[in-house]
Amino acid sequence: MPSQINLGELVQDGRVHRRIYLEQEIFELEMERIFERNWVFLGHESEIAAPGDYKTTPIGTQPAIMTRDEDGEIHVVMNRCMHRGATICQDQRGNSSSFRCWYHGWTYNNKGDLIGLPYADGYGKDFDRRRFGLVKAARVEKYRGLVFGSLSPEVEKLTDYLAGAKYYIDLFMDLSPEGEVEARSGTHKYGYDGNWKFQMENGVDGYHPNFVHQAFFETQAGPIGRKVMQLFTGNSDYESKALGNGHSLLDMSPKRPTEGRPTSNILRGATSQGAGATYMSGLLARYGQERTAEILSASNVNLAVFPNLLIIGIQFRNTMPRSATRTDVHLLPTTLKGVPDEINVARLRAHEAFYGSAGGGAPDDVEMFNRCTDGLRVKGAEWLELSRGIEREQVDADGITIGHITDEVPQRAFYRRWKALMCDDSQSQQLKTLRMARTS
Amino acid sequence: MAKLSRADAEDILYAEARLLDERRHDEWLGMLTTDAMYWMPANSDGVDPNREIALVYDNFAKMRDRIGRLATGVAHAQSPPSKTRRLVSNVQIESAVENAATIHSAFILYELRRGKERIFAGRYEHRMRYEAGSWKIAGKKVVLVNSDEVIDNLTFII
Repeated sequence: MPSQINLGELVQDGRVHRRIYLEQEIFELEMERIFERNWVFLGHESEIAAPGDYKTTPIGTQPAIMTRDEDGEIHVVMNRCMHRGATICQDQRGNSSSFRCWYHGWTYNNKGDLIGLPYADGYGKDFDRRRFGLVKAARVEKYRGLVFGSLSPEVEKLTDYLAGAKYYIDLFMDLSPEGEVEARSGTHKYGYDGNWKFQMENGVDGYHPNFVHQAFFETQAGPIGRKVMQLFTGNSDYESKALGNGHSLLDMSPKRPTEGRPTSNILRGATSQGAGATYMSGLLARYGQERTAEILSASNVNLAVFPNLLIIGIQFRNTMPRSATRTDVHLLPTTLKGVPDEINVARLRAHEAFYGSAGGGAPDDVEMFNRCTDGLRVKGAEWLELSRGIEREQVDADGITIGHITDEVPQRAFYRRWKALMCDDSQSQQLKTLRMARTS
Repeated sequence: MAKLSRADAEDILYAEARLLDERRHDEWLGMLTTDAMYWMPANSDGVDPNREIALVYDNFAKMRDRIGRLATGVAHAQSPPSKTRRLVSNVQIESAVENAATIHSAFILYELRRGKERIFAGRYEHRMRYEAGSWKIAGKKVVLVNSDEVIDNLTFII
């Protein structure tokens, strides 16, 4: 395992070493120190809306199941039979009050308790089936329907962890006149031969669009394409921000919001006057003039929540590390509760024009990740430069670091957090005890 | 008045397959009616595109833009382009009436890009309409076997 001092040297303020994208040993340490000791985004509660609903999703590289029990409570259990290790759930989604391991028939309820032990008389008197419940995430918390899990009990409250990202999550959810979105319109699933961090860096990178997405802006984006490109030029007045705890933002909200006028991209697409008007009156009824204007004008952002969540356009994006050089990505497009269908259909169509394996934009990002993985094999050029804007960034009164939209403020914030976690080799006593208990 | 035979259907599907494999996109666009829809569902066989995200759900104008993007020279996911060759088979005509028919078929598509080989399989559903003296594609649905799996780069036309 790379020593602590080496890891610290690999990530400096303004540049990172190529090894952090390529080496499996570093990847394994990332899984342990980032994905197994922190809040990790798992999904949205609307994906498992009904009692018994479940979906399988990993925590780091470990298979887990997010379930909803008969009382409506959400659980996160690990997909591993406590007998001989087989996965107990084979489907990506479904509804079941229990999971049976079909190797020897051990059965668990959706809270993780062992409820079925075939031919139990073969086990000794001291065999306590309560000790054979599924491994559970130590903490599961929700914010505005977003479900996060942590394998370590020693994490701060989710609402504290989200720090400055909370305000922008609120804006995203408040685009619904009922204050709720749903992620029940399917999943875009793509992957690439490259490190997971490429995706997290890229989702809040305001320097790349005019090059990577030129083809999209010139063709599929329609008449607004050229205008959008202006957002990402050197003289744009839009911003990038570091929100604390490694979270960050591209802020493309107009500087001078026109009161009540929907400047948000949410209304982009073929919505009729009628549907747009109904939507607007729904927003005004719930939030009033001032907050409605804020929601519509300030929600045009790309938000990164460390380590694996991006909220962009209408989607929640889950970046799933598979190995140092392989990553899967799931996009969960959302619909707004309480709006005319036409609005939600326009959201879906606008999303799929750019995103997904066959989209007009995202595959070009993915192509760059593949190219980086190839290019980083070159020895002698050891560093990736992330210093753009380092001398002009400002910290505001709330502690938010603000830079030009094309500056690498978000990437530097990500790697400061990355470095702090990766260099923390102080496994706490509580965690050690917990692990001992599991192995004994 | 025209009624589509299986031989007609095969001629159309083979011609389409060749145009797409040879990336003669403008000629391919000429096979479509101007109100044609191209639908490639994600996650399922596709039930209601208004409630499900799709991999592709393009009307004619959006398909024209998609093809325009590929021609810009800076559509990086297709630079270099995918080389493909597809076999179309199991052709069945369903609901052939005067001047309209639906063709079901199966395909296997081999792709080579940046030294990497991939195989896709699935089924096509072509809604055909006889218009101005020839058969045109009024709707095309592509259901991939792996529609619910992780798929890297799907930016060539299937």
